[in-house]
Order: sequence, then structure tokens, then C-alpha cells
Amino acid sequence: MSPRKTKPGAELFPVHEARLPNGLRVRMVPDHDAPVVSLYTFFQVGSRNERPGITGISHLFEHMMFNGAERYGPKEFDEVLESNGGRSNAYTTHDVTVYYEDFAAEALDTVLDLESDRMRSLTIDDRSLRSEREVVKEERRLRVDNEPAGLMDEALHALAYQSHPYRWPVIGFMGDIEAIRREDCEAYFRTFYAPNNAVLWAAGDFDPDALVRRIRKAYGDIRPGPAAPRVVDAEPAQRGERRAELRHPSRAPSLLIGYRGPAVVHPDTLTLDVLQFILGVGEGSRLQRALVYDKRLAVNVGVDWSWRRDPGLFSFHLELQPDADVRAAEEALYAEIRKLAEEGVEPREVEKARNNLRAHLLREFTSNSGRAHALGTYEMFLGGWKKGFALPEAYGRIDAPAVQASARRWLDPTQRSVVTLVPEEART
Amino acid sequence: MNAAKQRSARGSGTARGLQLHRFETPGGLRVTVAPRGRIPLVAVRLVLSSGAAVDPAGKEGLADFTMRLLRRGTAQRNAHDLDEAIEFVGASLGLFAGEDQVAVPLTTPAEHLPAMLGVLAELVRSPSFPDEEVRIERERSLGQFANDVDDPSLLADRALLKVAWAGHPYGHDVSGTRASVARFQREDAVRFHAAHFGPRPAHLFVVGAVDPAAVAAQVEEAFGSWSGGPGRSTEIPAPAGIGHAGKVVVVDRPEQTQSQVRVAGPAYRRGAPVQFAAQIVNVTLGAGFTSRLVREVRVKRGLSYGVGSSFDTLRAGGLFSVSSFTKVETTGQLLSVIRGEVDRMRARGPTPAEVEKAQRYLAGLFPLRTETNESLAAVLADMVLYGLGDDWLDRYRERVRAVTRAAAQEAAARYCFPEAPVTVVVGPAERLRPQLERLGPVEVLSADDVL
Repeated sequence: MSPRKTKPGAELFPVHEARLPNGLRVRMVPDHDAPVVSLYTFFQVGSRNERPGITGISHLFEHMMFNGAERYGPKEFDEVLESNGGRSNAYTTHDVTVYYEDFAAEALDTVLDLESDRMRSLTIDDRSLRSEREVVKEERRLRVDNEPAGLMDEALHALAYQSHPYRWPVIGFMGDIEAIRREDCEAYFRTFYAPNNAVLWAAGDFDPDALVRRIRKAYGDIRPGPAAPRVVDAEPAQRGERRAELRHPSRAPSLLIGYRGPAVVHPDTLTLDVLQFILGVGEGSRLQRALVYDKRLAVNVGVDWSWRRDPGLFSFHLELQPDADVRAAEEALYAEIRKLAEEGVEPREVEKARNNLRAHLLREFTSNSGRAHALGTYEMFLGGWKKGFALPEAYGRIDAPAVQASARRWLDPTQRSVVTLVPEEART
Repeated sequence: MNAAKQRSARGSGTARGLQLHRFETPGGLRVTVAPRGRIPLVAVRLVLSSGAAVDPAGKEGLADFTMRLLRRGTAQRNAHDLDEAIEFVGASLGLFAGEDQVAVPLTTPAEHLPAMLGVLAELVRSPSFPDEEVRIERERSLGQFANDVDDPSLLADRALLKVAWAGHPYGHDVSGTRASVARFQREDAVRFHAAHFGPRPAHLFVVGAVDPAAVAAQVEEAFGSWSGGPGRSTEIPAPAGIGHAGKVVVVDRPEQTQSQVRVAGPAYRRGAPVQFAAQIVNVTLGAGFTSRLVREVRVKRGLSYGVGSSFDTLRAGGLFSVSSFTKVETTGQLLSVIRGEVDRMRARGPTPAEVEKAQRYLAGLFPLRTETNESLAAVLADMVLYGLGDDWLDRYRERVRAVTRAAAQEAAARYCFPEAPVTVVVGPAERLRPQLERLGPVEVLSADDVL
């Protein structure tokens, strides 16, 4: 059976789709400009599927996926891939775990063999668990323990969430990384790494009809897994500002402030994308001008609105001048937010944000890897990749009053959590 | 437009059907246009062939500082209007300084290319360096140093540059130091711009869904009357070996629980014929996830999350280095493993199977290096800047495949630290010292000595 090809409409390029009887969803974006292919495997699992005691297992497990399966032994995955002119990597977030390979087109069959082998029959043994545990501990030391931004992010999530699994870091707590057992990993694999919990995206130099036949051959016999347990969002309402202070031997203070936002499927998500641009993306954005150039309190300003399956955080990261008055910087930020909420935004600012969001989307589509990754991500978060192609139109419907209404609703002072990094002398 | 100089180079095996259209403006700006793809986004890159290596003594960081000021005001517009002109249409424009070059990478929706070429020309032709903006940028740069201290990996990279290239024009980070940046005045930027900017040392690259004839007219409009600039770039002397050879330099960060580690020795100039054999050595020793270093450090011993080697090569010379990190307690062990693997590589080189594997790895991944319009523009720029030759894209894979084991062994013998390397460690000096003393004389610096 041939894969179903969508009619090019709003789409910039055709996407071919198929679904295997075991539930594996397959998406293909052919492009013959260069003899290369990118393959992405999205698993609908992340740290939100964890529980206390095994925090970090999603990410640790990502490491275990390179430790061999039935046909290809320990570390053969990368050995075979790199010997065939390819490279691989993976990442884990709160919501998804993603594996990807970029490689010379002639290695496509080999890569499908490698990927399906580990989905079918991953080896999970104590030896590789011991070794990967140490590697992950070093990764945590790198990204969190010795990195102020990592420490602050951990503190913000612990402050903003009381019940939801978003309250722990994706990499997990050190004690949990040490405590995760082989049995935990086995149960995790059975539930979350089944074909019915995965979407395969291929982009590059191939014929989609031939590819779907090869995918059926490689993945067809893998048995589906049980439905993943529902993640309960029992997060209680926030009833006022929360604050935390972090002391660290750094030279300059900084601030990380997060407001409780909606889940990705909420209609305001896209309005908040626009708001993020107006406030903080680009040299000419409101906060860059106010805090970096006019008041000169901050060295850098970042605004983050990362889509999350469950209610996420709209956050501001201010790297301050070493001698900056932290309270004044915080107040200056709030003043800008208040101004926006009270006076609204110019239609031109909304148009500018829309132009940038469209350019961003196009930029993602300029490589095989970008196309597979962007569309796969839209499918994971929006519930369908076509919604990715429809984004420019959806942004086009957002006007200045909608942006103001969203700012009023979501940037409410009672819904924020504030983490301050306070420099102090090193203690050895 | 000098039509006589226009020619096309027939495309390559890596990006099918790529055609390069070249021409020169009357003022001497050399332009390369590479039409490709359907996505209506165009990458532009303007490159000038002088960078941080020509920063005046005591004014380290000036090339970078001058670049950042380009967007803060021109004869025609102030910073806000420039930002608005670029960002309103969804374009993005960077200002980059390297050791051998400064560059303005620009990505724009195709329909705004003519306007963005106009902005680009305005930035490089008539920056006004307003006093107030100079002051703000200086303060911001100084503030950035304070934030940079908190990044151990960045500290290690900067310390390595400083000690390995000691006394050489490459021996400072492009952002300079707190002391040098604090001295910057408006006149410094004005002088740097007057001395190094102009069409004669410049190249412009345009890659994307464009019509070359239309681009030629647009370039003429924006840059046609631009003239001047130095005819040749300043000669950078070849380095005489590396600084601090045989020493262990520790940047003291008492609170860290993890050390950042760099080990380096001298390498070759960018574009030297040995590069292909050297890359085979590098891939085998420390690139990708299956290198000898990854196997010994990460897989077998769980000592680190990451370890890698690289040749960082520039116009006048290069460094071969190994980078990694580990908890403080195992820093000495990590360095022993690294040194052991480099020694083993130097003694025997890669095996025949390793040579073949590295060839397939490099050749297979090569097309990805030019996959996006931005990355192709950057590679085209490097081809010109470093004299890599017009056939670089076409023949890269063939040249990699032609490397013999003997050539790889020779490259290994030459670059895998035949003389004692310099070692840089960022971490708690007191706890590290006992682990490091057997590797060579230990010298302790503070973060302030580095930034």
C-alpha cells in the first residue's frame, strides 16, 4: 500500500503519511537536493511521566538507548552509523524524548535496522546502567551544579510547581540518578518505547513509496505496548507571588521570573508567542531597549515561552550588570509589563512579531533535519503537523487587543515565582 | 558592474546543481551568488579579511567592539531605526568578529532582500559611532565579562587561547579583556573602521531562492559607489610553537565540583594540504561518539559526559587540542587517559580500519556542512578567506578518500603532541594541585587574569 500523500495547500512541501498496524506513525518529506537523509524518532515521554524517586529516568534512559540490542551490541549503534557516514544524537525534555540521525542516503536501510533493533529489543543491563549513571552525573555537574542558569532553572521549577512533575529538572536530582534501578528502566522501556507511542519522521533523498515498504519490514513485527498511564495534573492554584534566593559565588546578580502560563493546546499559546517577541526577542524588543539600553541594568534579557503539554511557564531571565540594584531591575521589568498590560501594544508591533514568527518557521524548513524536527515537534505538541503549516495564518488572526488581553491574564503578579541569584564569596 | 569578471562554476557532488555566479563592483567588492532551493529565505554574508588578530596592542577586542557598534547608528539612522528596519520584516543580522575576519551574516525573507542589502551597505559604509552608544556598549561589554566568569567552559577556552598563543596576535579572545575594553573610546572604533573597512578587502555572498541578475542589480544599487579599503590584509606572523609548553595552568575556581580540562599543542595553518590526513587522525582520536577518547573516557570509565579533539586552524597557524571535564576528584585520571590516548595515536597512527571508517564518516557527513543557506554562505566565505580553492566543495570527499594510512600516521606523529603540550584546568586549585603536579610545573591564575 502506498503512503497517503497530502495535497500541497498551505504546505510548502508535500508530506507523506502512513501508519503501521502496531501503531507506529510514519511521516516522510522527500527532498533530492543533496544525497542525505535525516531520521527523527519522537517518543511521547519526558520527565512529566516520572515520579519522585526516579526523577531523571527519562533522560538516563535516553543514554541507555545507545547500549545495544539484539542484533547490534553495546555501542554498535554509533559505531555502525558513523562507519556509514552518519551521526546521531538525542534529547529529552519535560514532554518528549527525541532521537535523530543525519546520514548519507545510501545508509538509510542500515539506519532503519539500527533504530528498529533498539525499539524491538533494547538490552538493559546493570553494567551499562552503572556506566551511564556516572556519565549523567557528570552531565548534571556540567549543566546544573556548576552553572548558575541551571541552578536557577531548577529553583524556579521547584518554586512554581508544587504537585506537577514539572517541578523537578529533566536531568533529575543527583540522589535519584544514583538510585534508579534496572527494573525501573525495564518498565519504562515497555511502556513508553513502544511503536504506538512513537512517531517516525524522515526527510531527505529517498522515494517515499520504497521507504514506507522498508519501514514496514523493519518495524512491522514490533509489538505494541500498553497505553501510557495518564499524567495527573493536580497542581493547586497559586495564591500569590513566591520568592526564592540562591546564593552562589558569581560576580553578577541575575533574576529568573516565571509566570504560570497555559498548556500548549490553550488558544492563548500563540498569542503568548507574539507577546514573547514583542517583549524580548531582538535588539529592538521592548525589554532589550528598556533594560539593556535605556536603564542599563541588564547585560542580557531573555524571554522564554516554551510550549508544554501541561500548563507551562512564561519566564524572564535577566543577566544583570555586576553593580546593578536587583530590586530596581525587577521593578523596571514589572513596569514594562504593566505598561503593556495597561496601554496595550501597537498594531505594528504585532505585525513585526508575525513577520518574525513566519521567518522563524521558514528557517526551520531550510534543512532536512529542520523540516523533520519542526513538523515532528508540531505534531507532538499541537496534535498534528498540519497545524505547523497553518501557524502563519493562525498568527495572522492575532491582533493588538488579543495580545494585551493575554498579557493581563497571564502576566499577573500573583501568578509569578521569582528566583534571585545573589553573588557571595566562594566557600570551599 | 564588471561583466568581464562574471563567470559560473559548475556545481558539486555535495549540493546537486549548485552554480556560483561571480562578479565585482567597480570599487572592488567581490560578489558570489548561489541560487538554490525554494524556501523564500535568503542568506547573505559580508566578510572583511581582518579580525581580532589586528587589534592594536592594549586595545584587544577592538574588532569585535567596532562590529557591535555598526548597528548602533549610521549617518542615516539611529540604533532604534536600524533595529526596526531589520527586525520588522523578520530578518536577522549578526555582527561577528573572528581572529582573521569580521563578518555580517544576514538572513532575510526573499522579498526584503533589496532593502536588507541597503541596510547592510549602510552599516558597513557609514557607521556613526555615537558617543552615547560607545559608552553603553562599553558598559555592556564590561558587564558581560562579569557574567562570563560563571561559565567554566568558556573560562577554559579563553585561558587556553591566552596561554597557548601567548605573545602572538591570536593570544586574546576576540572580546578582549576587561582592562582593554575599559579603555575603548569612540576614536578607536572610528580608526579601526577607517583602516580595515572597504570593498577591496571585502566579499559578499548571497545564497538562496534568488535570480542572480536581479541580485547583481540590487548589489549595484547598495554597494556600487562603495570604494576604498586596504588592498591586502595585514600579514600575521607564523607562531613559534606554543606558549607554556609542558606547563599546567590552573584557573582557580574554588567552589567548582567539576574541572574543565584542555590540552593543546601546535597545528597547521588553515588550508594546508595535511588537513585531510589530520582530519582522519582527529576523527579517530576524538570526533563523534565512537572515537578512541569517547570509548576510553566516557564508555569504559564513565569519567565524563563529553570529550573531543579538534584542529582549530587559522590563517597563520593552528592548535590541536583535546577538551573534556570531570568531577574534581578524577581530574588527574582524566588527564592521564587523554595523554595516554594521544601518545598511542602519535606512536602508531590510526589502524587501516580506522582510516577507512573516518573517511566514510567525513565524506558521508560533508553535504550536511552546506545544507542550509547560511552554512553554505559561511563555507563559500571560508573558501575565499583561506584560499581553499574553487574546487573545495567538489573535491573534498575525493581528497578525504585519498588519504593513505601512511599519511595519517605521519600527521599523527606530527600533531599528537610530539613536544610537551600545554594543559589548562579550570577548577579548585588547592584540591587539584596534588593531582596535577606530576604532569608538569603548575601555575595558578585567577579568573581575572583570564578575562
